[in-house]
Amino acid sequence: MFENFLDSYAHSNAIRNVNTYFKVLFGIITLIVSLVSTSPIIPLIIFISVSIIILYKAEIPVKFYLKFVTVPLTFASITFIFMALFFGTGQHIFNLGFLNLSVSADGFNRGFIVFSRIMGGFACMAFLGLTTPMTELFKVMEDMKFPKILLEISMLMYRYIFVSMDEAVTMYHSQETRLGYSSIKKSYKSMGILIANIFIKTWITGEKSFIAMESRGYDGSIRTMNDLGNIRNVGIKNLSYLILFEVILTYGVYLTSTYKIF
Amino acid sequence: MHIMEGFLPWYWCVFWYALAIPFIAHGVIRMKKITAENPEMKPLLAVCGAFIFIMSSLHVPSVTGSSSHPTGNGLGAVFFGATVISAICVPILIFQALLMAHGGITTLGANDFSMGVVGPFCAVFVWKFGRKVGLGYSAAIFLAAFIGDWMTYVTAATELGMAFPIPTFESAWIKMMIIYSYTQIPISIAESFLTVIIFEYIQKLRPDLLRRLNVIKTEEPNNSIKVPEVN
Repeated sequence: MFENFLDSYAHSNAIRNVNTYFKVLFGIITLIVSLVSTSPIIPLIIFISVSIIILYKAEIPVKFYLKFVTVPLTFASITFIFMALFFGTGQHIFNLGFLNLSVSADGFNRGFIVFSRIMGGFACMAFLGLTTPMTELFKVMEDMKFPKILLEISMLMYRYIFVSMDEAVTMYHSQETRLGYSSIKKSYKSMGILIANIFIKTWITGEKSFIAMESRGYDGSIRTMNDLGNIRNVGIKNLSYLILFEVILTYGVYLTSTYKIF
Repeated sequence: MHIMEGFLPWYWCVFWYALAIPFIAHGVIRMKKITAENPEMKPLLAVCGAFIFIMSSLHVPSVTGSSSHPTGNGLGAVFFGATVISAICVPILIFQALLMAHGGITTLGANDFSMGVVGPFCAVFVWKFGRKVGLGYSAAIFLAAFIGDWMTYVTAATELGMAFPIPTFESAWIKMMIIYSYTQIPISIAESFLTVIIFEYIQKLRPDLLRRLNVIKTEEPNNSIKVPEVN
């Protein structure tokens, strides 16, 4: 369940050193354009074009990306089917022939729009998650005047997630070798012990590292090397590409605003 | 219960953001106060956050555009107060959206309102009420975790029903709740038992922290070591 973590790719992709603000601006604006679209065309175009950027510009392995895509794809497909079958009131265009189920035109359209919006939005988020390390996103949040205490807790939390996952894997394996998961009843019991222990273990580890940090002069802010550029040196060329891309997309939203499949 | 990115129309995104932000702001102020008084609370606060993150990552697909998973928000809410969880849920939801494609940036307001505002508030209410009528710590924390989890899902169903009121809000809401209950009833019961185990562990290991947070009552230390008087 945790193999979908993309932290390592965020640190080693081909556009890792591109200005962070540029990447964040690109991701967020495209996300919003995808959201306000009232037709399924533009979000699908966004999904395809951003996926191309992820695969060929950032050079994320295709296999990994495909595996990552299946998560939202499953959700979006379930949504599509569910909406087409149950969320329509208009005329029926297709009869399934059992249980009195039928696909209606407005349900199909609504489902398809939501499907494409989910995929479009996913691509933008995946772009951010795959190309920008969390620590740089923290820096951007700091510049956006996020409350300091919240950022500090977020950084500690981000660290603890990995600490507790390490603990969890070790404990899980040792439970497994002692036949902790040999029957359903036993696996429930082992799972309970596992999670309760992770909580305590992470906490103790966290407290130790907190004491270590405090004794080295920690005063509530974690300072990192800041070489991710500035919002001002995004560069005219990049900025004009960005604006051109978004304007074309917005114009597309306007053009296709009344388009429907049925 | 995380609503997928792009699932809600944009006006509902804005609406839920606007509703969640006052609670988040209050939570940040409270968090500042707690950590200024006791800096050693920071690791516990972060561990509670990591706990919510891990618990809500164990999801199975459920209602359209959403999923079913334990929430883990009852424990933190009882420890630190409901609005602190509202604030701490913001980075959790950002991590989940960016790292696991679970939830989303535009739907963050809606997700925070269900998981970080309504759920914790109900959990705290149940905890306080349970303690008042004389339930033990374990029974009260069990009920708090259970109600905190369930109210999160009731709110998520409300959000989905309001965004897609087809044919009417009531029928959409009932449809969502029925689908949620299939997966959520066993999950929430399991989560509540787990929360009780963790609570009892903490009570055994570090009762001093719980006392300082006013979660458990201050008792006279009866087994304290007597310091010999020095003349």
